[in-house]
Amino acid sequence: MNLILIATIAALVIPMYEAAQDNDIWQKMLAFSSIATKASIVILIVSVLRDDWMIGVVGVIILSVGNAALMLLAQILKRLNEL
Amino acid sequence: MCWPTVRVVEVTVNDSYLYAIILLMPLTAFMVIFQANPYHALVIRGILGAVSALVYAVLGAADVALTEALVGTMLAITLYAIAVRSSLVLRLGILREDEPEAENLDLKRLIADLHSITSKKHLRLELVPYEDRHALQQALWKKEIHATCSRLCQPEEARYETTIRVEYLYEILKTELSSPITSLSYLNLPTLEEKH
Amino acid sequence: MIDILGYTCIVIGIAFWFWGTWPLIGDRSVLFKLHSLSVADTLGSMSIILGLLLKLPSEWPLLILALISLAIWNTVLGYVLAYCSSSGGDRER
Repeated sequence: MNLILIATIAALVIPMYEAAQDNDIWQKMLAFSSIATKASIVILIVSVLRDDWMIGVVGVIILSVGNAALMLLAQILKRLNEL
Repeated sequence: MCWPTVRVVEVTVNDSYLYAIILLMPLTAFMVIFQANPYHALVIRGILGAVSALVYAVLGAADVALTEALVGTMLAITLYAIAVRSSLVLRLGILREDEPEAENLDLKRLIADLHSITSKKHLRLELVPYEDRHALQQALWKKEIHATCSRLCQPEEARYETTIRVEYLYEILKTELSSPITSLSYLNLPTLEEKH
Repeated sequence: MIDILGYTCIVIGIAFWFWGTWPLIGDRSVLFKLHSLSVADTLGSMSIILGLLLKLPSEWPLLILALISLAIWNTVLGYVLAYCSSSGGDRER
């Protein structure tokens, strides 16, 4: 199980590197969406690993709310490019 | 289901993944700090929010993680995006008669020059057309716009004049703008008592 | 037996993650990356959650909720991102 967690963290680092080196804002947004999903999945894995219901609830809420934040930000950035 | 349980997280050799997760947080924080473009910094701030929510949840602070995800990521970033968008802007008033059209090459080139300078400083350039010279002056005096750009009445070698009322914008444009089309001037307006 | 099945699901999910995330690094267009990311990432995440469900069935309401919200939100998000990035990009060019 520890190995699995290390592997997921390695997968989390790839989009972070991408967000740091790319200069296009939409590529950064893609990396952000990828990281948001992956982080909440890692929270879920940890909650199952520890058999902790509370962390699991938080993981599910972050999973559904983080995506809403992304959509809001994408709409605002789109308006920004129009002007 | 055990609700209010207080868990003390002990880092043992078995939990070595914790170090890897916690290490991600300063990494993203440095990425935010070294970002020059404010919008890119906002997106990376979102990444920092997601990563720190992950760290808090893994360390057992479920409530802090939830607050970070809801307030720190969603609300703060949306508000900051709106604030940055409405404050980092150069509003340039022009006359409606010389709006940049196909035949008005001079103004078009001037606007392109200004655009390249402002985008270098991450500013937005917004053109506000006015009906006549009087309305343009009024708008500058009432601080609705930051600068005006209009055709000179008796053209010399510069055919346009640009008047700026914000000092640091004037400083930037004075050093960067090398176009012979326009003359630059700074107008020091008195601070008005009433707000507009 | 079920434990092994769960682990297999999780490992398959992580493989999907790497497969979907790797194209992010390259120099391709946003839509290409979005396609690989939304397909492989969502499938990988769903497979991981399925594996977790097999491993620990007592948390099933949470994990089913995560599965559903993942399936719905990620598809919607893919559409929204594609719409925003393409119309914004047209204005820039």
